[in-house]
Amino acid sequence: MWLLSGDAVVCLELACEDCISFLWHAVASWTWDAQDETCGICRMAFDGCCPDCKLPGDDCPLIWGSCNHAFHLHCILKWVNSQTSQAHCPMCRREWQFKE
Amino acid sequence: MAGESKDCYDKDDMDVDEKDKMPPKSGVMDIDGGHLHGERSDSKLVKNIGKVVRDLRGLGFTSMAEDAYASAIFLLLKAKVHDLAGDDFRTSVLESIKGWIQAVPLQFLHALLSYLGDSFNYDSPSSGLKSPLASRPPSYPGIDAPSEALVRWKLRLEYFAYETLQDLRIAKLFEIIVDYPESTPAIEDLKQCLEYTGQHSKLVESFISALRYRLLTAGASTNDILHQYVSTIKALRTIDTAGVFLEAVGEPIREYLRGRKDTIKCIVTMLTDGTGGNSNGTGNAGDSLLEELNREEENQENSALEDGFNTDDKQAWITAASWEPDPVEADPLKGSRNHRKVDILGMIVGIIGSKDQLVNEYRVMLAEKLLNKSDYDIESEIRTLELLKIHFGESSMQKCEIMLNDLIDSKRTNSNIKATIGQASQTSTVSEDSGISLDILDATIISSNFWPPIQEEALNLPGPVDQLLSDYSRRYTEIRTPRKLLWKKNLGTVKLELQFEDREVQFMVAPVHAAIIMQFQDQTSWTSKKLAAVIGLPVDVVNRKINFWISKGIIAETMDPESDDHMFTLVENTSDVNKNSGDGGSCEELLAGDEEGEGPVASVEDQLRKEMTIYEKFIMGMLTNFGSMALDRIHNTLKMFCVADPTYDKSLQQLQSFLSGLVSEEKLEVRDGMYSLKK
Repeated sequence: MWLLSGDAVVCLELACEDCISFLWHAVASWTWDAQDETCGICRMAFDGCCPDCKLPGDDCPLIWGSCNHAFHLHCILKWVNSQTSQAHCPMCRREWQFKE
Repeated sequence: MAGESKDCYDKDDMDVDEKDKMPPKSGVMDIDGGHLHGERSDSKLVKNIGKVVRDLRGLGFTSMAEDAYASAIFLLLKAKVHDLAGDDFRTSVLESIKGWIQAVPLQFLHALLSYLGDSFNYDSPSSGLKSPLASRPPSYPGIDAPSEALVRWKLRLEYFAYETLQDLRIAKLFEIIVDYPESTPAIEDLKQCLEYTGQHSKLVESFISALRYRLLTAGASTNDILHQYVSTIKALRTIDTAGVFLEAVGEPIREYLRGRKDTIKCIVTMLTDGTGGNSNGTGNAGDSLLEELNREEENQENSALEDGFNTDDKQAWITAASWEPDPVEADPLKGSRNHRKVDILGMIVGIIGSKDQLVNEYRVMLAEKLLNKSDYDIESEIRTLELLKIHFGESSMQKCEIMLNDLIDSKRTNSNIKATIGQASQTSTVSEDSGISLDILDATIISSNFWPPIQEEALNLPGPVDQLLSDYSRRYTEIRTPRKLLWKKNLGTVKLELQFEDREVQFMVAPVHAAIIMQFQDQTSWTSKKLAAVIGLPVDVVNRKINFWISKGIIAETMDPESDDHMFTLVENTSDVNKNSGDGGSCEELLAGDEEGEGPVASVEDQLRKEMTIYEKFIMGMLTNFGSMALDRIHNTLKMFCVADPTYDKSLQQLQSFLSGLVSEEKLEVRDGMYSLKK
């Protein structure tokens, strides 16, 4: 194993004559690990954001109910707050509880 | 004019011989010639001319005499203007021409007129014989007040000078604008000339024909045309602030540019990149057009918003106060835009028609640029985006903003993940199997919904790298539950350093290239089939990609006689390959897909093609029924029948380019503008 000039450049192979060291800059896309593609309330993609938000990801997170249905946090909060009595999951009509 | 005095002469010298007519005339010419060289009005000379003129008048050749010396003076003036103005656009010549008029021909005329005037005396009662149009000249000879005739001569000469200079400049306007902004003095001159002569239409006509002949040809690059367009806008803005002529002149350019495919791309590049093409923000020499525009705008606004007025009121007041009627040449059909501020960006967007297309193209280019970054330095992109937001509005740049935000976020996440490693290694859980640390991996994490469609290619990365990636995504999930990462393995950049016995070489390459070369560590020669299987790409793709390494002299290609397959071998020694002996140690940069001209991001055309394929069946069906159809008819039929899901909303040009794609795929035939199915 070769360490070059204290940099993060590392040689892959041990005891080699022809040696390749590299710095890899990779590209990935993130996605919510939810079963569904779109939010059942706003019908927008989970990987996008709710209609009130501008930035996806941390600014517009998902939240799971105890029934395992996921929604945009902002969407389900709006829904829960609009219900007078106990709120139910918009998908399965079970009592809505935030998943721990 | 000297004409006022001629009537007085009709009685004098009536008896001059007819024969005298010719010699005096040629005498005038002679003397003028001498005058040209001497540039000093000799009193004797003036006297001679004066005598001849008077004689001619006496003969009744008044107009001929005047024509003669007038034309001589004009010839001289014209030569002088040409001489002074020449092809130098960097100095203003108008003042020196005026000075010359004052110094030479007016002096001469002054002398001549006063000579002629002496003989009849202003205060003599005979002045009653003057033409009624000419008012009585000021009759105080002692004071050096210019006689009216002289003033008229002056105006006449100046007008002639303006006209000559204007013609000269208009003929060279194309070159002048090429030189802009160095040629600003010439443009200022032209502006003044046009104010006197009012021959703007001449300018428009001649410039348009120059444009057609010299710029709007197949040989001119779109970039050049755009640059000339911008210079034209800037230059003509000084001549005509209302932008009326600009509209007329700009129309042919816009028309032409609309027909070019790469116009949008060039515009976006011009807007965002420095003119020098260095997008890395090194040095201010190559400021982008956008920044330049913005600076101008700021200057304008700063001067407008000085005091604490309500901005709207103030703005309204300013526009009201600075209102000017449209020039006579304005096209009444276009309607008077009372706020016809010449907005360069607006005029450029006007070429394309809508800003959405421009924004979309920008997004694709931005995506390409961001995906090819090996660091997270996006300062210049942020600046550009801010500027674009000012012009195009925040909402249309929303997606681009998210893209930039992704990069900022990635940077943070990346360092967070690295930090967890630091902690982990302290608690002695070094990344399990592979001996290499995550330090050599950076990642850009994108919100794929907001990026343009990205071309994905399945690709098998070398084991250790793959290990790193899954390690990275595991840590990511730990930090950001419940989010996970999907790797786009074909994207990104790899900085490689190859060490051979006798040299070290550095490269910036795409992951495919890195994956290929890393296979050669364990095994120094591969057949293309085997290599393709390991990399997980089709054989022909591998053959194409490996060309990069072959061209760098790292890998040599031979034909394997046994399996009839390409054989690739690592070149150990530079002495084997002489051609790139100078490469050692140099850092070569080649980013993803450069050599094949295919970027990671689907281009706008590709997107369009994808959208259009829905209509392919319709078109095929149509052509089966009707045999052959013209473009217009296909377009209209699609518009008529594809009304719902998805609505046909493409333009005629878009349809045409799609159809020509089908033609090149040999699905359709086109003959005399009629499309039909290929048999």
